Amino acid sequence: MKTVSLREISHCRAGEKIDSVNISVICYRESDYAIIEKQVTVEAVRKVFSPITQGAIMRYEVPNIGALNFVLDGILDGGRTRTCAFEESGKALSTLMYLVNITVPDDYPERSKV
Amino acid sequence: MGAATGWSRDRFDPAENLVEFGNIDYICFECMSEVTMSAAQVNRLDNPSEAGYDPYLDKRLRPILRQCIEKKIKIITNQGWLDPSGAARKILEIAKELGIDKIKIVSIDGLSLIDSIQHEDLTFLENGRKASEFKGSIVSAEAYLGAKEIVQALQDGADVVITSRIADSSLYLGPLAFEFDWDFSDSNLIAKGITIGHLMECGAQVCGGYFADPGYKDVLGLSNLGHPICEVSEEKVIITKTDNTGGVVSEDTCKEQLLYEISDPSSYLCPDCIADFTGIKVRKESKDRVEISGFRGRERPPTLKVLVGVREGYITEEMILYAGPGAMNRAKLAEEILRERFKICKLKAQSIRMDYVGINSIHREATPDWLSQEPYEVILRISVRTNDIKEAQKLRYEVEPMAVNGPAGTGKWAPMGNRVRPIVGMFSTLICREAVPIVTQQFTL
Repeated sequence: MKTVSLREISHCRAGEKIDSVNISVICYRESDYAIIEKQVTVEAVRKVFSPITQGAIMRYEVPNIGALNFVLDGILDGGRTRTCAFEESGKALSTLMYLVNITVPDDYPERSKV
Repeated sequence: MGAATGWSRDRFDPAENLVEFGNIDYICFECMSEVTMSAAQVNRLDNPSEAGYDPYLDKRLRPILRQCIEKKIKIITNQGWLDPSGAARKILEIAKELGIDKIKIVSIDGLSLIDSIQHEDLTFLENGRKASEFKGSIVSAEAYLGAKEIVQALQDGADVVITSRIADSSLYLGPLAFEFDWDFSDSNLIAKGITIGHLMECGAQVCGGYFADPGYKDVLGLSNLGHPICEVSEEKVIITKTDNTGGVVSEDTCKEQLLYEISDPSSYLCPDCIADFTGIKVRKESKDRVEISGFRGRERPPTLKVLVGVREGYITEEMILYAGPGAMNRAKLAEEILRERFKICKLKAQSIRMDYVGINSIHREATPDWLSQEPYEVILRISVRTNDIKEAQKLRYEVEPMAVNGPAGTGKWAPMGNRVRPIVGMFSTLICREAVPIVTQQFTL
């Protein structure tokens, strides 16, 4: 087994609603869904995002498209019109999700090498 | 049906491409974000002579209006903002200038609910507080309308439908429900229209826009991205784009857009239904053609969502620039000096934020190991949020003297002008449908 970035198996997009951000995690191959379902837990996500939110983190399963959807509350310092942050939209937080690492078999074809 | 824009300041040229090469019956312009109405309202308070509708209205519609009339392509747009009937009159004026002799424009206005939400003393979902507590500070309040009035407008023969705030996906449901004569009590059909609308509403985002990540997700032709076209029949739904544009429509682009700005994918709340995306199937038919199926939904919620803008003080930012050997240490020294100066000038702020641009300004405190980095150049960015405008102005009074009082090699962020801006904080609340008056008007040549 080897440890790789979530980026090697899935892609992410973030969107914002007032003070919440949603970040999708979508497998390049729907058949890999079981890997993210098991390993990309709320705890794993909280570990990466806890410095910028103590709010609720919800995880929704969307196996029909091989995806998970995370909703992180209280992450935008009150929302895009209120925040003192340089990046006000929260949309760039999709790539923070790639700091979540996962374990895959040694012969797993990483996206960057395909 | 084509999606000409994904937001208010999107590219202009895709509309012409869709009209000329798209073989479409409808062209839709989604031109709002959450903050659009409150920003327009504040702008109108400051500049009463300016129009309350989208200032890009002329620039978007003039190049295509004549061809749309000739080809019988109906235009559906939410560029009415605060003044849909004013916008309709403007379109009539453009039509006259273009020599169009017959046109019908229908405006749909959900009006401002500032008084209603206070009268009914509705509760804000974000903090549980009552609207009446914010008396005098509320600058905007508007409901997300549904698609029924668009259907009615099309039944009445509208060539152009222009609305105020409306649920983005309902802008697309309207033409579909009209064409197929869908019954609004059939939740699965309405969810079909809403799901299609959701895939279309952000324009290029389903055609390879906001998607490219070199080495992982490569997209060609990004400077000439196609905007989406949906081909809809009772049997089949295809998302595609014109051949002479760049970008890509793939299963992956459709999946990213399906989950964009979504909370619970089994309950996408809209004015017209609750759509459930957990049965959706996404399948490539051929190059740049993706079939979407598995639409289902439940009965619409009893209430409408209202977005509320509230004045909440001021925010401002400044930047100080460093490069070369020791850049990071000099930026940190500048931060220390400024923190001392804020004590000396007794800055009263709700929040003070210092970031190092290029180091930790985007993922903020979640940036890994940022302290160990030694960049060639770095920008110290300072932002403060205050109740009082005079307090916000203090930031500039402290940052500009750093040009001669700060560390060596301090560079200056050139643009002058006012960088203090008022904050309009956003809240949402739910209102019963009966309390939302909808005014529809017709304008004809």
